Amino acid sequence: VYQVFESVAKKYDVMNDSMTLGIHRVWKDFLVHKMNPCPGTLLLDVAGGTGDIAFRFINYVRSVRERQLQRKLKQHQNLSWQEIFENYQEDKCNSLGDSQVVVCDINREMLKVGKQKAQHLGYSEGLSWVLGNAEELPFDDDKFDVYTIAFGIRNVTRIDLALQEAYRVLKPGGRFLCLEFSHVSNPLLSRLYDLYSFQVIPVLGEVIAGDWRSYQYLVESIRQFPPQEELKAMIEDAGFFKVDYENLNFGIVAIHSGFKL
Amino acid sequence: VRCQHYPPLRALQASAALRRVSDEHKKEPFTSSSQQQFDPHPAGHQPEQEPQGPHPSYTGQGGQESEDYESEEQLQRRILTAALEFVPEHGWTAEAIAEGAKTLGLSVAAAGMFHSDGSDLILHFVSECNAKLSELLEKEQKLVQLGEAEKKPTDEFLRDAVEARLRMLIPYIEKWPQALSVLLLPRNIPSSLSLLTSLIDDIWHYAGDQSTDFNWYTRRAVLTGIYNTTELVMLQDSSPDFEDTWRFLENRVADAMNMSNTASQVQSTGEAVVQGLMGAAVTVSNVETLRPEL
Repeated sequence: VYQVFESVAKKYDVMNDSMTLGIHRVWKDFLVHKMNPCPGTLLLDVAGGTGDIAFRFINYVRSVRERQLQRKLKQHQNLSWQEIFENYQEDKCNSLGDSQVVVCDINREMLKVGKQKAQHLGYSEGLSWVLGNAEELPFDDDKFDVYTIAFGIRNVTRIDLALQEAYRVLKPGGRFLCLEFSHVSNPLLSRLYDLYSFQVIPVLGEVIAGDWRSYQYLVESIRQFPPQEELKAMIEDAGFFKVDYENLNFGIVAIHSGFKL
Repeated sequence: VRCQHYPPLRALQASAALRRVSDEHKKEPFTSSSQQQFDPHPAGHQPEQEPQGPHPSYTGQGGQESEDYESEEQLQRRILTAALEFVPEHGWTAEAIAEGAKTLGLSVAAAGMFHSDGSDLILHFVSECNAKLSELLEKEQKLVQLGEAEKKPTDEFLRDAVEARLRMLIPYIEKWPQALSVLLLPRNIPSSLSLLTSLIDDIWHYAGDQSTDFNWYTRRAVLTGIYNTTELVMLQDSSPDFEDTWRFLENRVADAMNMSNTASQVQSTGEAVVQGLMGAAVTVSNVETLRPEL
């Protein structure tokens, strides 16, 4: 698994776009929207290598914070100019409202690409990059508000261990969110999807990234991954409550959510 | 198979936030024996659990409905109740719920359990208010039965009941228009409507309404009209202690009493209800245009 991602790291984003025809952006937007984080949230994004989820989270929290500040100012109708100026100053230094993201990945290359992307796009505050294994996270108990793993859990050898670690590092009341390829129940769509996955994707892999084998592996790992209900049962086994899943695009992708209660 | 190893796994993990319901059952409910012989605890126990079988009322999530831990619904209700105190500041939003969760020692992400438009919070508040009103009316009825109080005439009874219920809105009155507009969303209409009808039914029940003929419908419609229109008047009332609202209420109730004495009762009731709804729709649409500033 490590070697697959080593070779894939640099071309990861480009491949994502071409494989999913750009829809993966929508899926990730949807995940953050479903999370609906408020400022002050501490997010752990596991297997989040190139930082897609982390950047979206920061954007979301920033805009929520701006709206909060606007509302606060509207309420203060009779402030003097001096007071308004002071309000702005102290809030400018806190545009994220103390929210933070920790991006954890097992692969150094992916983290490197992610850091470069962050610099390039201008994300500086609220981001940390940590090397770590999802089955054995280098964090203390009860630390994070939200744990996300987007398109990463199928690459974990012991999913149950990863789920247990997720449970451990989340605060009471914390949320587990998993975005992953899943099973299409509609038979017609399933046939089309199979056709696309096995014929088109490895070819794209060869053409764009020069690597047929890695993408063949990718497609096969998607097929081997447990379906929605089974994953839901595994999440419940780890101790999460109110576990639910939402199919996107008829089951091509599913978001599983659980709470540590 | 899954049934049997579930209970010890769950209880031993000692649920992070679901707390024990009864403090008297201090010992661990499951003594991690592989044979799950279920012993019904003596007192303070849910009556519906049978004594035999390894795990009764198995809910598929492995025992979170088990004796000593509160259920998810109870925890959710605790969070929503805690969130109410933040409503004047944050409105009926996921933020208020997040703040409420924080006061209970939970992560702000717990607000994700509820719908993001705040409708869960509002519906919880409405059903709590309705329950409080029922309690109040029940107590009053007891006093009358014991002979310690006079039975009120219908119009006074209705006036007092509606006033008592509307007064519960006063702490949240500024953000209430927002709540109303959320309750009117198509998604929420079934729930909000059923809460409203049960409120009206309750009031008529305690008012001593014994009728089972077609009057039943007209009385419900009339009182619903009175309640809704008074609520809307209250939103725009700036008089001290809402005296204008109570006077409006008095007039409407008096009208209703007079109406019931005429022969064209059903028709005029229908007209009144339609007018009431039209007025309500106009007011809400006016409030909607004000909404961006709320």
